[in-house]
Formats: sequence, C-alpha cells, structure tokens
Amino acid sequence: MRKRLTGFIGVILLTLLVSACSGGNNAAPAASNAPAESQQPADNGAPKDGGNLIIGVAADPVILNPNYAGDRVSLTIDQALYAPLFQVNNGKKTFYLADSLTPSADNLTYTLKLKSGLTWHDGEKLTADDVVFTINSILDEKQNSLLRSNLIIGDKPIQAVKVDDLTVEFKLPQVAPAFEATLVQISPIPKHIFENEADIEKSPKNNTPVGSGPFKFKEYKTGEYLTLERFDNYFGGKPHLDSVTYRIAKDTNSANLALQNGEINVKYLDPQDVATFQATNNFEILPYSEGRLAYLLFNANSDRGALAKKEVREALSLALSRDELIQTAYTSGDYAEPAKSFVTPDGLFFTNDVTSYDNDAAKAKELLDKAGVSNLKLRFITTSGNKVQEAVSLYVQQKLKAIGVDVELQSVDASAYSKRFTDKDAKDFELALAGYIMGYDPDAYRILYSSTGNSNYSHYNNPEVDKLFEAGAGEADTAKRGEIYKKAQEIVAEDAPIYPIAYTKTIVAVSKQYGGIEEAVLKPVVIFEDLSKIYLK
Amino acid sequence: MRQLIVRRLLQTVPLLFFVSVVCFFMIKLAPGDPVLSFVTPNMHAEDIERVRHNLGLDKPAYIQYFIWLKELLQGNFGYSLTNHQPVLDQILERLPATAGLMGSAIALAVLLAIPLGLLAGANRNRWVDKLINFISYIGISVPLFWLAILMIYLFAIKLHWLPSMGMRTIGVESTADVIKHGVLPCTVLAFGFLTSYVRYIRSSTIGQLKEEYVQIQYAFGASKTTVLFRHVMKHVLLPVITLLGMSMGDLVAGAIVTETVFSWPGIGSLGMTAVRGMDYPVIMGITLFSSLMLIIGNLAADILYSFVDPRIKLTR
Repeated sequence: MRKRLTGFIGVILLTLLVSACSGGNNAAPAASNAPAESQQPADNGAPKDGGNLIIGVAADPVILNPNYAGDRVSLTIDQALYAPLFQVNNGKKTFYLADSLTPSADNLTYTLKLKSGLTWHDGEKLTADDVVFTINSILDEKQNSLLRSNLIIGDKPIQAVKVDDLTVEFKLPQVAPAFEATLVQISPIPKHIFENEADIEKSPKNNTPVGSGPFKFKEYKTGEYLTLERFDNYFGGKPHLDSVTYRIAKDTNSANLALQNGEINVKYLDPQDVATFQATNNFEILPYSEGRLAYLLFNANSDRGALAKKEVREALSLALSRDELIQTAYTSGDYAEPAKSFVTPDGLFFTNDVTSYDNDAAKAKELLDKAGVSNLKLRFITTSGNKVQEAVSLYVQQKLKAIGVDVELQSVDASAYSKRFTDKDAKDFELALAGYIMGYDPDAYRILYSSTGNSNYSHYNNPEVDKLFEAGAGEADTAKRGEIYKKAQEIVAEDAPIYPIAYTKTIVAVSKQYGGIEEAVLKPVVIFEDLSKIYLK
Repeated sequence: MRQLIVRRLLQTVPLLFFVSVVCFFMIKLAPGDPVLSFVTPNMHAEDIERVRHNLGLDKPAYIQYFIWLKELLQGNFGYSLTNHQPVLDQILERLPATAGLMGSAIALAVLLAIPLGLLAGANRNRWVDKLINFISYIGISVPLFWLAILMIYLFAIKLHWLPSMGMRTIGVESTADVIKHGVLPCTVLAFGFLTSYVRYIRSSTIGQLKEEYVQIQYAFGASKTTVLFRHVMKHVLLPVITLLGMSMGDLVAGAIVTETVFSWPGIGSLGMTAVRGMDYPVIMGITLFSSLMLIIGNLAADILYSFVDPRIKLTR
C-alpha cells in the first residue's frame, strides 16, 4: 500500500511538470523529398466551385463567440463564421456587413448603415437590433467580454442607439478618432440566440455558433477538427469552397508532416522550415507582415535602478546590432524588417525615420563612462523552450559583455514568464524579449508608453509623450493628428524605453491546388480576411 | 471479504481528499496566473480585476479550495477557466478516445511482453535474452515523441499506408477508420509499456525457474516448452495482474506526449492545455479521475489475486 502512495504523488507531480517539458520541439526528421501532390491541374484562371480546404491550427478554439475570442485559433475561425462590420487595410476601408460609416460634424456621433437583406446562418434577419445588442452585451459588466475596455472612452461608455432597422448611431462621450479601429474588432452576435442568456460566456449555444460570415458551423470534434460549410446567402456572394476544416495539430513537427502529406492544406511555417517546403514545389510560401513589433524590453523599475537612466538604455542599444539580431532570430531579413519606431508599418502615421541606436560599441562604452556606471549586472528573463528567445538572449549576453555589462540569463516557464513580465511592480529583472500587435490606430499604443498606461511594462515616463497621446486621442483633424504621433514616435525612439528589433512577418504555406489568395487578403492573426474568395483550382 | 472491500473503498475517500489538497495547493504555488491566459493587453486594470472577481480568483487559496470542494460534493466538477465549459463534460467527451487508445496499447504490450519475457528469462544470458534486452534498452532510452515522428515519416509520408494524425478522416464516422488512425499511436505507446513489462516478466520467470515444481516437472520428463508455457507462465501471470491494476490510472490519464504528437483527442492533450493555462478546475478533475481509477485498479488487482492464488489472503 505504502509504495503505491508514491504513485499518486507521481500523478500530481506529472501534471505540474508537464509544462516544463512543453515546447520541446527538437529533432525534426531530415525530410529530403516529399511525395508529389496527387493532382496538379493546369491553372486556367477561372475560379471553380466545390472542394474542401483544411487549415492547420495549433490548438482547440477556446470560445467561438467574437465577444470573448482572444486566442489566435478562435479569432481565425470566427473570421469565417462571423462577418465584421468593416475592415481596414493600409488605411482603406472594406465594408462587410456595414454599407457606410459616417461621423457627424462634431465627430461625436457615428452613423452606421447596414447592408439590406442581411441574414444570419439560421435564416433570421440581421438588423440594427443585433448590432445594438452586441454593443450592450460587451458593455454589460456581468458578461466579462474582453472587448469592454475598448468601448470605454475617457471613463465613459459609448452608446449605441437604433434609428431604424438598418441604421445605428454610436454616441461618443468625447471626440475619439480611434473609435473606428475599435469597431473593426467587433462582429455582431445574434440577438435572437443570446437574448435570454444570463451568462453568454458559459452558454452552451456557443458550441453551435450562428454567425453571418461566408461559412456556417457544421461540426466540431473536440481535439480533432472543426468543419464549416458554405453559407449560400452570404452577402458577399456564394463562397467557392463547399467547406473549410480547421484541423487541430498541436505538435509542430507532426503538423508539418501532415502538411507535406496533403492532410493539411494551409499552415503557418517557422523560418527554418521554409526551405523544406519550398523544395517540394507544392506550396505557395507567403510571408506577410503581421503588424507586430518584436523588441527588447528595458525595465526601468528594476531594483538595480540602472535602466532608469536614459544614457544606460542608449548605451545598451548601441551595443547591439539590429541586423545581427534579425539573423539570429529569424534566419534572414526576408521574414523581419528592421524596426526603429514603436508603431508598426501598417499603423497610421507610421514613420521609421526616427533616431536609432545601433551597432556602435565604442560610443556605448563612452556613454556608460559618462553616466558613471560600471560593473553593471543585468538579469534577462526568457521563456524556457523558446528557441528564438534563447538564441537572442545568448547574443545579447555576448554583445553586452563587450561593453563590460554582465548579463545573467534566467530561463523560466511560459506562465511564470508572462506573470513576471506583466507584473507592473516587478523589480527583479532588467531585460526581456517580447512582441505586440496593436492594430492600426496609434491610440492603441497609449497603454504601452504613457506613464499611467496599463501595459507600460518598461515603466517609461515622459510627460511630453503623455501629453501627445492625450492630444492625439481627441484630435479629429487627420493632418494635425499625424504630426502629433510622428513627434511621439521620435521622442520615444530617442528615449529608448525599448530596443525595437524587427517588424516580423508571418509565413503561411498554402497548397498550390488553391487559388484566390490575393482576393481573400492575407491578414495578421486570422490568415484570410475573406475565405469566400478561396477556390480549388 | 465483503467487509474488506467496503473498508478499502472507504479508505479511498481520505486518500482522494489528500490527493486533491496536494494537487490544488501545488497548482496555486506554481508561478503564473490563470487570468493572464485570457486577458488582452488593452483591457483596463479594473476590467481585469472584475473578471478575476467574477471567477472567484481574488479570494484566498484555501477559500477557493473549499468552494471547489463544496461544489464537488454536490457533484459539480466546476467550469474550465479558459473555455467556461463544464469540466466533467470535457473529461467524459475525451474519455473514450483515451481509454480506447490506452486500453489497446496496454493489451498489445501485455500480449507481446508475456512470451518475450518468458523467452528472455528462460534463456538467461544467451543471445535471445541479449536481443530482447537490447530492444528493451532501446525502448527505455528512445524518447517516444521521436519514435512517433519517425513512424509517421515512414508509414504516413513515405509508404502512405496510414494517416499521420487525428482519430478520424474528416467527416467519416466508422470504427475501421478510427482503428486505422489508432495503429501508429497504439504501436508507439505499446512499445513504451512493453519494455518495462518485459523486464518485469523476465525477472519473475528467472525466479520461478528456481522453484521446486519446475525441477519436478523436468524430472517427470516434461519438455522445456511445456514447462515454460504451461506451468511457469501461470505463475508469471500473477505479477501481470498487478501491472494491469497499476495501469488503470494511465487508462484515463492518457499519454500526454503521444496524444499531442498524433493529435489524438484524448485526456492527455486536454491536461496539457489545462496545465499551460493554469486551468485548475480541469487539472483537478483529471487528477481526481485518474487517482480514483488507480485506486480501483489496485483494489481489483488485489481481489483478483486472492482468487487466482488462494495462498494469498486479503488482509488489511
């Protein structure tokens, strides 16, 4: 009996230790020549109807309700299930459910017109009532929606008012040009389904979602796959494909083998796997900008104090080379552009023409001497098992040693890392690697760089920048707003609260059997903006 | 006998309580915060606090434990912190996949281990033994995920005999299809179990061969094969019962690595996701479930023992 007790404790220990071994994706087999795809018909241009597309995803979707989806997989599937009101690409609006969005002269009211004849997947009419219901359930404190904070402007919620079946007025408590970027993230949920649910998040109705997108829910086998089928009444025209399946493949190596084997048609690739798939000649390899900045964080709040000095941050930045960092992390410049500004290239008013500290060790030493800092010892936290972070941290350690700065690497597991990183009172580390995708409106960066921002993990504090963010949020004149954010980008770049490394790209492999990729528009996080355009050649 | 079984069953209650306490507080001691796995960077601090409050995560850990226990005693395993679905439903949904896979892997491993172990034990230190030993050592040393990838590469990509992943062809509902998908993961898992079983049976065989009844059989002119497979095997099967009893926990806990590599929708991969997200209601549910199965398996093994070998009396 006694001996078996160790067995029980073993079970418990195992559950806890597993996370430590996660992410151990070593030992990929040397795939030399994969079998050719069975069919490779001549491309005659015209889209055909029919067929199935299999997209590989790395996890089960958490919840198929746009008011709650925060994980990559749910967002990807929601993009096909729920049509958005409109989307913005490179500053240009594409209208989906909405027909138009017009701000009033005082910029305090936005009038949204819906397209006529819209229906939900179950045939019910989609009207202004659904839009108002969606906004109100996001704002309802009992409903725990992740989007709630986005609808609060300066401590006051926005209001959605139905004018007629196709018209909604949004009333803003103050002028806020970033409101459009907020609406981009919202896809209406059906009022007739969720109206009487006390807790929408826990509602079993989320398991059989009813949306308005190009594909409707068919079946979900937990841990295996989720299939959507064509929605014939899609307002953008009948989709070409009969169905889309999201195949859950948690292990990267075996998912790559399934992609080679034709059991998956679309999947993200890591830079180091690109050559293998290029060699098969069966895939379009599509790197596209993810609107993401990868950066090295300087924690000015640490108990060693050194990073609160601008000269020290500047010196550390000068000791590093952006190009070498990109080589180390992403194997080549094809998958990452050198970054200087905190705004990403897809953002409004983005400029990379700002001060940059790069690759000047002599000047770095000089600055440290001038600041009177010597024998600097820094702690660098990394996520264990994350190969990119490990490689970059070793590089940084070596480069900083050259200017007389000692770096102690602390490898911690993913949940411990995110807890320390996001803890605003953390004083026990100085350096960390991170990345963010903030969307196209620069107001989103306020939480990162204003002194009172929620996610100001570098503890950056510059009253001038605070003022600029405040002014930019309420400035309706586009030209003036542009000036404000350009100035903010320059000041932040000069103050170096972070070391911007690169604007990273996502790489997606799509089987050459499929066409219409350009029309479907590759989009950060969700892969395709409009799946209805994809067709089987 | 009946009294004894009842007493053993009653003992499981404090044991499970102990397991749940240790498990719960170890999760709470681990660095990390379940709320972080689903908040977004642009949520306001007060919204994050409200979500934390609504989930009861702002209360002290021991109070959280008692709330959890109280719900459990009313038959409620709670809701996942990430997808907010009932924990019990999620476990039951995945149970058939795991039990089927683990059950067939264990059965396959035992069926192969018995003859291999007997042969190795009977031919101690001869080439048959050395070959079987060699294979066992490979089995112990080779990481299963690596073996799994190798097998996928060979049988799915190169030979096209078997599918590389999942439990079903998309949209197909047939037992034959599930079996076809199960061949690779089952073989990999069976190999993992096999090696320790073989070592177990081998040493047990060596022990049995020294017994007097074996000498008597030989004295009566029984052939080596007869002695081994008719007489020794019966005795060697006894420890196999214990092995099987101990495997009952695995039967529901699943195999985390193998399930993940083969995208097998079992409890192992559910547990993996839960541990990553610090989703303690799910972790607790799986731990309790597999502990219970382990206890029941052991009890069943003990009872079976007393039937198979009357010399062994069930005592406390």
